[in-house]
Amino acid sequence: MKRIWTRWLPAAAVPAVIAVGVLAAGAAAVSPPPPATPEQVLGLVASHAARQFSGTVEEKADLGLPSIPSQALAPATKSATLGSEAALLELLTTAHTARVYADGPTKLRVQVMDQLAERDAIRNGNDAWTFDSKTNEVTHTTLPAGTGSEPSPTAKAPVMTPDQLAQRFLAAAGPSTNVTLGQSAPVAGHSAYALVLTPKTSGTLVSSVQIAVEAQTGLPLSVDVYAKGQKDPAFHSAFTKLDLGAPDASVFAFTPPAGATVKQQPAPTPKASAGTMPKSPSTASPKASAGTTPKSPESAPSWDTVLVVPAAKVPAGLLDQPLVKQLATPVAGGRLLSSSLVNILITDDGRVLAGAVPASTLLAKAAQ
Amino acid sequence: MLLSSAPASARLFVSELSVLFRRWRTWTMLAALAAVPVLIGLAVRFSPKGPPSGRGPAFLDQITHNGLFAGVVGLVVCTPLFLPLTVGVVAGDTIAGEANLGTLRYLLAAPAGRVRLLVVKYLASAVFCVAAALAVVVGGTLTGAVLFPLGQATLLSGDTISPGEAFGRLLLMAGYVTVSLLGLSAIGLFASTMTNVPVGAMAATIVLAVVSQVLDALDQLDWLHPWLFSDHWLSVADLLREPIAWGSFGENTLLQLGYIALFGALAYGRFTTKDVLA
Repeated sequence: MKRIWTRWLPAAAVPAVIAVGVLAAGAAAVSPPPPATPEQVLGLVASHAARQFSGTVEEKADLGLPSIPSQALAPATKSATLGSEAALLELLTTAHTARVYADGPTKLRVQVMDQLAERDAIRNGNDAWTFDSKTNEVTHTTLPAGTGSEPSPTAKAPVMTPDQLAQRFLAAAGPSTNVTLGQSAPVAGHSAYALVLTPKTSGTLVSSVQIAVEAQTGLPLSVDVYAKGQKDPAFHSAFTKLDLGAPDASVFAFTPPAGATVKQQPAPTPKASAGTMPKSPSTASPKASAGTTPKSPESAPSWDTVLVVPAAKVPAGLLDQPLVKQLATPVAGGRLLSSSLVNILITDDGRVLAGAVPASTLLAKAAQ
Repeated sequence: MLLSSAPASARLFVSELSVLFRRWRTWTMLAALAAVPVLIGLAVRFSPKGPPSGRGPAFLDQITHNGLFAGVVGLVVCTPLFLPLTVGVVAGDTIAGEANLGTLRYLLAAPAGRVRLLVVKYLASAVFCVAAALAVVVGGTLTGAVLFPLGQATLLSGDTISPGEAFGRLLLMAGYVTVSLLGLSAIGLFASTMTNVPVGAMAATIVLAVVSQVLDALDQLDWLHPWLFSDHWLSVADLLREPIAWGSFGENTLLQLGYIALFGALAYGRFTTKDVLA
């Protein structure tokens, strides 16, 4: 048994080979996009024609909220009064992976892939479906003909494609926003421009929004929202895989499975503007809509807008709900749910104030 | 050197398999695994109320529509503990068991014996991984066919597939679970070369399987998760989506191959430098 140490060489070589393999896989060669001005890229997005694609989207939020184990949230998700809040908290505190298939403006399928479960949202022509494999519940909505908008995220399938998100941000990127081009980096193996939206006002918690735009088609590939004082994006949504071919038509065909509970839902009324609350309290509780405020700055005219929900539109007893009590800290005049990107204040007189602004702004506004 | 003695290696492999599958212990473990979906099926069939939707193990409420889901539930329930347990017993016994019985010396009498013995032992424990996953599938399929209708099956995506396709997916899931266990088998092989006490190697392997899953559940260690051999174990459900999400199958296979390479090399290093006294 001479030169015994050579027998250990393979054991040393294997980690080295694995390391080289991992590094090589990470460095895929994608040529950078041709030079362009921010205006050209904005025009590219506005006119983007890639309505056909299939891909995988990864979404995660780092809002500085405590991470709540999904087991702890599971009972709450089933409860009628807390379902939407719990589903929303799950969206804001855990990462998601979803598969997205799109073919034209009226065919879209989003599959949120949870562990051992899945939530689906399907739009096929005038039919909009949601399916939740955990509860085996189906909802069906017949949309009026000619509706072009894609199904909005619901508690059942709370994922937006980077495309949908980016369009919202860009629609709001008016005079209150500086638009520049950042260092372009490939996303999901596609060469992409990096648009950087920076709010001009200093009164918002949003430090910048970065949108990666596919160089040929103009399809937005990723959206990163950065909060002030935080290095990692507070909200991140990006394609990890993307194929710009038309998906198979069968993907959009959906028949409720046998044994599922099917609920018919009325077609939604035309999109409510950011300041107004949904009329029907059964479709969305104010907390749920208040919680969508991470995405509300872009639909509001400016970044530091504060959304105020009058007490009359807030269901009584919101302050007494256990989830609210647990997460919101008491402040003078109410309870504050604070995160790195959004603050929500529930005042003692029942109003809800929310915005991507510091807590002091909300308190001042509440005192008015 | 393996090729030059291919017939001898094949003979050794066949004799290894016959030793493994003539053991009462092997058949007891396989029977226990097959009993899991049987028990689940009986519980669902004879409970006064139907299974509650959305509670208990995943897919439980699907069993009443399609009996094949007894096998699916069985695989999902067995993956975290029962399957690693049995694989740990078999893989931990490979070398240490022979050493403990004093038969290792005789097995190594042939030239180039050590490497061949390692490979043959590993392949035999891989065959047991296949048998273990199939035991669950067979138990589930028989129970499902006897107690429930074999109708249309609902996938996680809400799409419906025919019973034949459902059985195909169930076999795919068994394949996925088998692949998932190959890394653990390699760890067990290495542990088995470290000691002459088989129980020690078995326990070490099983403990590692549990530790890996505990680490996988801690959000604070998310940088480590892609490197844990149990990380993709429950992604077996990706085969129940429509269209099938093959991504996790590929990632899992690569990960398990990495573990086989690393612990195979470690086992080689240990076993070829070890003094075999028993």
